Formats: sequence, structure tokens, C-alpha cells
Amino acid sequence: MIPESTVQKVLAEALKTGGDLAEIYVEDRTSLSLRMEDSKIENAVRGVDQGAGIRVFFGNLVTYAYTDDLSEESLLRAAAAAAAAGKGSSQKTVINLSKTSRPVLSPVLKSFDQLSIAVKAKLLSDADIVARGYNPQVKQFMAQYGELNCKVWMFNSDGLQVEDDRSFVEVGGLVIAQKGDVIQRGMAAFGGQKGLEILDENNFDDSVLKGAESAIKMLDARPAPAGDMTVVICNGWGGVLFHEACGHQMEADFITKGSSAYAGRIGEQVASPLISAYDDGTIPGRRGSLLFDDDGTPSQCTTLIEKGILKEYMWDLVEARRMNRESTGNGRRQSFRHLPMPRMTNTFIGAGENDPEEIIAETKKGIYIKQMAGGQAEIAKGDFVFNATEAYLIEDGKLTAPVRGATVMGNGPKVLSEIDMVGTDLALDPGRGTCGKFQTARVSVGQPTIRIPAVTVGGTDEPVAATMGI
Amino acid sequence: MTDYLDLAKRIVENASVNGVQAEAFIIDEIETTIQLGNGDVEKLSQSGSKGVGVRVIDNGRVGYAYTSDFGDNAIEQTWKSAVELASIASPDDFRKLPQPAEIPAMDLEIWDPELQNVSTEQKIELMKAITQAAHAHDARLAMVPMAQYLDFITHVYLANSNGFAGSYSRTAAVSILMVVGRDGTSVSQAFAVKASNFFSDLDPEEIGREAAERVVSMLGGEAVPTQVCTVVLDPIVAGELLGAVSRALTAESHQKGRSFLINKLGQDIASDKVTLIDNGRLKRGLSSAPFDGEGVPTSITRLIDEGVFQNVVYDTYTASKDGVQSTGNAQRGSHREVPSLGISNLYLQPGTKSQQEIISEIDNGMFVTRIMQTGGIDPITGDCSMGAYGQWIENGKLTQPVSGVTIATTLQDLLKNISEVGSDLQVIPLFGSINTPTLRVDNVTVGGTQS
Repeated sequence: MIPESTVQKVLAEALKTGGDLAEIYVEDRTSLSLRMEDSKIENAVRGVDQGAGIRVFFGNLVTYAYTDDLSEESLLRAAAAAAAAGKGSSQKTVINLSKTSRPVLSPVLKSFDQLSIAVKAKLLSDADIVARGYNPQVKQFMAQYGELNCKVWMFNSDGLQVEDDRSFVEVGGLVIAQKGDVIQRGMAAFGGQKGLEILDENNFDDSVLKGAESAIKMLDARPAPAGDMTVVICNGWGGVLFHEACGHQMEADFITKGSSAYAGRIGEQVASPLISAYDDGTIPGRRGSLLFDDDGTPSQCTTLIEKGILKEYMWDLVEARRMNRESTGNGRRQSFRHLPMPRMTNTFIGAGENDPEEIIAETKKGIYIKQMAGGQAEIAKGDFVFNATEAYLIEDGKLTAPVRGATVMGNGPKVLSEIDMVGTDLALDPGRGTCGKFQTARVSVGQPTIRIPAVTVGGTDEPVAATMGI
Repeated sequence: MTDYLDLAKRIVENASVNGVQAEAFIIDEIETTIQLGNGDVEKLSQSGSKGVGVRVIDNGRVGYAYTSDFGDNAIEQTWKSAVELASIASPDDFRKLPQPAEIPAMDLEIWDPELQNVSTEQKIELMKAITQAAHAHDARLAMVPMAQYLDFITHVYLANSNGFAGSYSRTAAVSILMVVGRDGTSVSQAFAVKASNFFSDLDPEEIGREAAERVVSMLGGEAVPTQVCTVVLDPIVAGELLGAVSRALTAESHQKGRSFLINKLGQDIASDKVTLIDNGRLKRGLSSAPFDGEGVPTSITRLIDEGVFQNVVYDTYTASKDGVQSTGNAQRGSHREVPSLGISNLYLQPGTKSQQEIISEIDNGMFVTRIMQTGGIDPITGDCSMGAYGQWIENGKLTQPVSGVTIATTLQDLLKNISEVGSDLQVIPLFGSINTPTLRVDNVTVGGTQS
């Protein structure tokens, strides 16, 4: 992408004012997206985005400049801009680059050009027929197809040279059903770090059918109860719970500042012994996976919690250097216009020993959350919320009436300590997760079915008593 | 930089053959980011970037392509790609580009000529001063783990094949603070965001004090029993809720049946204290611009007038579908996005009572100063449930901090139950910009401990 002689010159320019590490991050992105609503393909968009960012470390200070022009002249200008904060003179020399390779993690088996755009558009219009045909109460169907290829190259003055080639496909649908004044929605989605083989591995029509079924069911939903009660959360997407309740609080930038509820607690019991949790950037084909992170660190599987004991946080290069330790490969950035920060990759709670059906059967009263929209975390106290889009009352061990408008609010450390049942059915989400922390990042979440004995549910209806069965 | 307007016109000229309509949008921006962590400068970044997005409409079929590479070949490939992609889209006769209209001459005060002269050192000093002011206000403010400064100097160029050509420039300076409060074992956290088109509007004393007051007021919070009561929403909370409501006030959400307010136009949907306006020409409005993302002059739209749902906002497509004029609400986040219909500056007409007066009239209720609502407010179904923090109100006085509760209603009920609108208008820089005072809302369910 950039000649090695240019890399050497640019890194030397960046170190000119006394920086102790300089880095070039180069990115080349091409994307295609199609959008359908009102049974029409509303638009087709193709994009090209390329550029480079130059980062210089002066102890704990990081400076950055980026450019969308990859000529040597422009890169040198960016390097000089990034170096401008330094007041000294060159302390370090650029070590000769030595390329590190790893076997490809998420190979593309069927490249994007193997299907015409018309075929990709037909995927959406066929699903439209399925959604609308399911029930006349389906009033609208919105769908999107997206593909992205992002190639990155990283070089630094310690001799690092790595590259990663990331391809993503994502397909999503939103079914809107209406009965009188009541409107409800159902979602359909899948995606992954894959080529077009993902379209053979998944059936969008089936997924849309389930979404339509959920939207229609929810038309008869009653308002969710309010107050403390037992909550059972589904496997897969349910992993939003850990992502919000604990994941963010275990990102190193909140740890080194001491602003997280988990700071300084390595080795302590922070969750029920039933809980082990991981951040694994090495799962082939997953949305949050990376061969190398955006600092150039090889991705890894990090055990965050083992049988309730806090083992490790998620580190990027900046925070790792601050604490004079190794990164865990969690440095990620939205694009070459952004500085990396500690982010999750694929984060999940490990499997437990309860039969998932038994978890519901052993719950006398509570609610079961089957689909969720999203959530949010608060770092210092560890509070979190997440919202259910499809939920049911549990009465005497059985799922009964659908309920709407259920938000769960709790405190991460408290809820994690109280989880009393963990299912055997570990699953990751369908592959459309995006996390926002000033920048967006593709992530996966996952968990088996779990039960929280008592947590606050934010509905408008009378509370159901938090009584446990058996 | 008229070169870029010329470039936009040239692209349009090349792409608009054989009856194809074409539009080119160019953005040229310099962005500065400075981040302090507990008072030390941690991150400094300043860079310029540019990009062009080309939209073509070929017999009602839309194609779009973008690039950040301004080389002749890349530009040609981009508009050719847009033309080629149009063949995939479904034809829709209502899809067309607007005819050029006269842009009213008016200084919107969105350009700070001084911003480019403010040095990096001055910006660092500002954030240090904010951090110090926060600490100085209250010793219980334990840390400012993040104090971020951002600014943008942006030039926009737009041309279309109907003969429109225009450009404008805009500046924005933003301060984002994350603060943590601590008192014994009690911990609280808050964000404070302040944004303006003008650097000098960022007052370090005010920003630091407000952040400190907010986080300290939440220390020691406990859940309260589940009950239905009146809530008082601080402007920052009211802004988040109105932002969600505004997504149901676009013509697109109505035409496509995804608004909790469909078929309610002309009806009473809110308390008569509610008058809600979209003003694309608000002076010093963070979303103000002389023309919208399609080149249509921006305007003022009365959405809700004393409780009656009067209008929705339009872009060219939705307006042509309803046989009306576009209100100039086509928004463009960047050259990478197809223009989309949205609110510009939302403005809730203030009432006469201060926040304190409103609180003093409540026997039993909650003053809500922070919500966590991601995913919890749905402008399609109207479901509205979120995590909340604040203070309990008894006999007109704030008694104790509250945390770990939920508040829930529906957006339909929320609008009808607004029983008081305060006089304390504030600019909340969310979803563009929202100008709102304190709101009093009755009959909201607070979810907490077993009653």
C-alpha cells in the first residue's frame, strides 16, 4: 500500500520532536449498502474511504493527525503535525520493519463480486413478500443489506508491521405490525465477518418470518409490570446484559483512571461462582473478531471472570503502556480518523449446568426476555439498563402473556453476584451488534439462558411478586 | 474555496446526461480533539478531511456513491458508480431533486470567525479551567476522568442539475465532561455536554459548576417504592425525551406507518401547554443552515401548537408524495450518507414558572436529573421506559437522592400529561439541537422496591 521507504521516512519525521513511539495506521474501505422500504429498493450506495493516521506517543500523551491523501508528501505533513506537540529532539530511531503474520482467522469463501447487486436486492424484496404475506396486520417492512471490506496496515517505530483484511456482511429487517392504535415491531438480522457464503448459511426469509411472528404476538401484549421481580434472560442476544452490566466497566481506560466500579479488584469475588466470562477476539467469522487489533496487537481470548473471580481487564496499547504491561488486543478504532481505545470484541458468559427449560419451569413468577433492543452502562457505580422488545410473563413455571415496554435496570456487580441459574445453552448473537462509546465498533455478545432472582423492571403495570419456585 | 463548488458543478454536469438528475455534496472539514484525563493532557488530534457524495436519480431510481479521493479518476468512478447503482433501485416518480429556490439572506450566526485563531494551548487551558472549576465547586467531586474538547470548522458545497449551487461555512466547539462524585462509600457519575457555534460561549466556570452540582446531587441515591406519581424532568432529560418524540414528527414516519402518532394530524395529542417548533433558521442553532442537504431553504415549522398536532417536517421526496412544499429538513451527517429526513433545531416554547417553583408545587414525586434510555424509548410503538436518577420531592422540597429506579409511561401519555412547562429554556446538544425548559409530567410509573 505504502512503500517501505516512505514508512521509514514518515516514522522518522513523527519521532523528530522526541516522541518515544510512532505509528502509521492505513485503511482502505469499500462498501455497498441497499435499503428497502414500502416494498421498494429506495437506494443503493457504494462508498470508498481511504486514509492514514499518524500517532506519536510522548510518555502518556498521545498525539494524532490523519489524512485522506496517501502520498508521501501528505503523510509527512501529517507526521509533522502529530509531532508538533513535542518540544525535544529525536531520541529514538526507527527499527527496521519486520512483518508479523498470523493464519487468516475469518477467510472469505465467496467474494462479494460473486453475486450481482440485483441478486442482493432480490434477497430484500423476497423477504418483503414473506413479511407482508405472513399476516395482513404487517403494515410495513424495512430491510437493509450491507457489505464492507476493510483492509488495514499498521507500522510502528519499534519495527511492527502487520496487516488485517476484514470483510463483513450484514442483513437486517424490521417488521411493523398494526392493529387499531397499537403498533409493534419485530426484528430479523444476521451478519458476520464473512463473505457471501453467509447468505447460504442463513435463511433471511426464516428470520423475517420469526420477526413477523414476534411483531404480531406483541400486538396483544400488555404493559410490563413495574418493580423488583425475577427475570429470566434468553441466550444469544441476552448477552447484552454482561456487555452493559460489566463489560464496559472492565475496559482499561476506566480502570487506570480509577473511575470504574471494578478498578483495583483483580482476584476478588465480583460475581456468583456460576459465572465465568470471556472476551474472545479470535472466534472465526464473528463480527467482533480481529486478527490484529487496531494497535497491531494480536487478538486473544481473555478470561475476564472465572467462577466469579475477577481475572483481567481489557487493555489497549495506550493503557497498557501507562501501566507498563501487555495489551490484551482490545485497541479498536472506528476509522483512520479516530484514535484507538479499549473496546470489547466478542464478549460472553460461559455455559452453566441448568437445562434452559428447567430455568423457566422452576420460576414461579417473573418475566422472560426473549428479544432485546439495546442497553446502556454507567461506569462508576456499575449501573446498567437494557430494553426488551419481546417479553413474556412467567406464571407457575410457564410462559403466559406477552408484555411490552420492559426495561431492566440494575447494578452490574450486584446482579452478577445474584444470578442463581445459568443454562447449558451458550450462544452468541445473530451478528448485527454495534457498540457505541464515542466511536462505533462491531461487537458480538452472548450467554446461555440465565436467571436473576430480583431486579428492577420498568413497566407501568402492577408488580409481580419476586417469589422463587422450589 | 470556490474550487470545491466548481468541482461539485463539474461532477453534476458530467453525471447528468440522458435525462439523469445529479447532485454533488462536498464537505471539507478540520476537526480538533483534545482530551484530558484527571487534569493531564492525554490526547491531541487535529486534521482536515474532505469527501464528496454523488446522488443521481434516473427515472425515479436513486443511486449514490461517495469517495474521499478527489483525483480525477476516483471522481469519475464515483459518479459512474452512482449512475450504475441507480439501475438497481425501484422506480418511484416522487423521487426528484428540488428546483433551486431563493435562499433568504440572513446571518444565522453559525460561523465563529475567531475559532481558527484560537490556539491549541488556549483550548487546553479551557479544559484545565473547566476541570479546576468542577473540583473547586465541591470537594465531593472526586475526579474528572475525561474532559474532552472538540471543534469543527466545516465548509459545505452543494450543486444539482436543476441549477442549484450553494455553499456555507459553520463552526462548532464542544466540551464533554465525565465526572465522578464520591462521599464515603457512595459513588455517582455524570456527563455534562456543552456545545456552541462560538468558542467564547464555553464558559469554564459555568460548565465546571453545573457538572459538579449534577454529580454531587446524585450521591447516596437509593431506590424508592414502586408507585405512580408526578415527575419533574430537568431540561437535559426533557431534551432526550423530546428528541425521541421528534422522530415521530417527520412526514416519512407517517407515510411509512412507523410513528406512534400516525393518523393523529390535526388532533389534540398533547397538553395545551405544549407548543413545539422545528426551526432550521434558529440564530446560533447547532443545526441551523441556510439550505438543507438537498439545497432547499430551511424554514420554521409549527409541529404542535397548544397541544394540537399541526405539521410534520418534509424533504423533497415526502413533500412531493403529499403534494406540499419541502420544509427544508433533508439532513446530511456526512458525504457518506444519503440525505435523510429529520428535525433541525427543536424548540419547545417556554412557560412562566422557574424550575424551583414547579418543584415547590409537588407533594410527592421525583425530580429526574439523569436517564439511561438507550433502546427504551420507541417512537414507533410509543413505549417509553428507562433507568432514572434524581431527587425525591416531598411537600415541595427535595428530600433525598434517588437512584436505581425506572420511570415508565408511553409517549402518547407523556405528551398529554405535561402539566407544566418551565421558563428555564436550555440548549441540549443531542440529535442536532433541542431547546427545552423543565417539564412537569403527571401519572408516570416509578419502578423500584416492593411497596
